[in-house]
Amino acid sequence: MSFFSWAWGWISNGANWRGPGDIPQQILAHLEYSGLALLIAVVVAVPLGVALGHSGRGSAVVTNLANAARAIPTLGLLILLTVLAGFSPLAWLLPLVVLGIPPVLVNAYEGVAGVDPDVKDAARGAGMTTRQQILRVEVPCAMPLILTGLRTSAVFVVATATIAAYVGLGGLGRFIVDGLASSQYGPVAGGALLVVGLAIAVLILFSVLSRVLVPAGLRGSERSE
Amino acid sequence: MITFERVTKRYADGTVAVDALDLEVPAGKTMVLVGPSGCGKTTSLRMINRLVEPTEGRILVDGRDALRQDPVKLRRGIGYVIQQTGLFPHRTIEDNVATVPLLLGARRAAARGRARELLELVGLDPALGRRYPRQLSGGQQQRVGVARALAADPPVLLMDEPFSAVDPVVRASLQDELIRLQTELRKTVVLVTHDVEEAIKVGDQVALYRPHGTLAQVGEPEDLLGAPADDYVRDFVGFDRGIRRLSFFGTGDLDLDTSPVLAGDATVADAVSTGAPWVLVTADGGRPTGWVPRHRLDAAGSATALRDLAADHCEHTFTAGTDSLRAALDAAVLSPAGQAVAVDGAGKTAGVLGYEQIRAAIAARAADGARGKDR
Ligand SMILES: Nc1ncnc2c1ncn2[C@@H]1O[C@H](COP(=O)(O)OP(=O)(O)OP(=O)(O)O)[C@@H](O)[C@H]1O
Ligand SMILES: [Mg+2]
Repeated sequence: MSFFSWAWGWISNGANWRGPGDIPQQILAHLEYSGLALLIAVVVAVPLGVALGHSGRGSAVVTNLANAARAIPTLGLLILLTVLAGFSPLAWLLPLVVLGIPPVLVNAYEGVAGVDPDVKDAARGAGMTTRQQILRVEVPCAMPLILTGLRTSAVFVVATATIAAYVGLGGLGRFIVDGLASSQYGPVAGGALLVVGLAIAVLILFSVLSRVLVPAGLRGSERSE
Repeated sequence: MITFERVTKRYADGTVAVDALDLEVPAGKTMVLVGPSGCGKTTSLRMINRLVEPTEGRILVDGRDALRQDPVKLRRGIGYVIQQTGLFPHRTIEDNVATVPLLLGARRAAARGRARELLELVGLDPALGRRYPRQLSGGQQQRVGVARALAADPPVLLMDEPFSAVDPVVRASLQDELIRLQTELRKTVVLVTHDVEEAIKVGDQVALYRPHGTLAQVGEPEDLLGAPADDYVRDFVGFDRGIRRLSFFGTGDLDLDTSPVLAGDATVADAVSTGAPWVLVTADGGRPTGWVPRHRLDAAGSATALRDLAADHCEHTFTAGTDSLRAALDAAVLSPAGQAVAVDGAGKTAGVLGYEQIRAAIAARAADGARGKDR
């Protein structure tokens, strides 16, 4: 039997959609973990990237920070934290946050640092305070890139949130981990397919979001350039 | 009024961009800063609204020390226009123009109404207000930049090469527009350019820089053309400064020759009797139609009406009293007869003017320094 028939056989089995630890519950849990990790990544990385981007300095800081974060193996960190801190939320949350930060940080930085210098100069020259320059001009102009960073992070995090199952939590990783342990291929393949589906749903969500959040004046230029 | 008092700017890397500059910009006038690339024009300009902080010296804006004011408040009271417009791409034209009023706490509806008025003032259709900057041509964007700078009605306007990114035709019309706006608004304008021609055209005063941030000469455009302080100024102003200076000589009281001007129903015999080598034929009660040379008169029957003869087009004319001697000389150079055709405000022929009369007029005006800018 192929991967898809394993997966489909399991997903289409109505029994898996009912009862404790069923598919809907685990999807919800998966989204909860991913959402929390992404939220923390955004809260940390967007202000940092924007602030460094505004200053125009810190290009090296951002690159090094992002590269360092990328170099940390997510699973390795999870295991290390479990050893050090036991089964605390930190063990699964921190690796996901570390995974989510680089794309958001780099894109927020590049987006703001890359705003047309004449536009920045005009904002300053018009008498905007630093805060107004950032919030009214630089962030809106950087919005397409900021959203690109968010989307990349969201896909990474959703695809990786399966690791929560290693430390005894739910999420779609539960099916994979348990399936592997009991040599049942159905839940392994089905869980993996659901993760892919969720990642695609995230991509769609962001394309809708960019329609709403990217200012109209920037949209056409994105296409023409 | 803006006053520079021994202002020096030394950048962090040691570059002295402006060196002990003393300069006074009179209120309500246009001061043009001109000079070679890197001579410190932009730096001087940006020190006025403190986008660059002076290293030494004082800058007074309307009598108040700029360095002792909150830079944010200072900038809201000074219009600022830059070369590549710096329009906010994510805001509509209307909201771009409304920027400073909104910062100053105006209500959005009122600020937008004001924005539409300003678009009209700078010669744009207010309907463009709903568009985004990328949907406008370069020239239109530049006008929006000017409208944005004027929105809060600041007494001072700073412009850094505002017209250099557009083609020459659009540039000329934007320059004319600025001159027109200035007669209406009387702002204290400081405009940076590297184009002497532009400096002479739009400036009430011109400050010509030497490399490394010192001044070579400050004065009215005519002074730079007529009395350059030294060889540097002479070279910078250019080899045709003599011709350009004619722009400042009026054509109000010229000795126009009316003898070779004849109506279309006059005959060849009438024309021959003037003794002129070329006669100018007019129609519709005075509008010039063209020049006829003597040999063509001699070849025609003496009773022939002049309107039936082939005439050489008189190229362009100049309006006596409104245009400058430069326009008159230009018209003479282009004329097949070597004579400029002067018309009145209604386009009727006032007379013709040959090189000799133009030469005499130049000599007379240069002698008494007569004025009369062709604006
Ligand atoms: N931020 C800066 N740091 C160091 N040097 C600078 C800086 N800005 C300008 N300079 C230097 O100061 C000098 C004057 O520059 P400025 O921009 O005022 O010249 P400019 O007259 O406007 O020239 P251009 O016609 O090319 O625009 C130049 O030598 C320039 O390289
Ligand atoms: Mg400059």
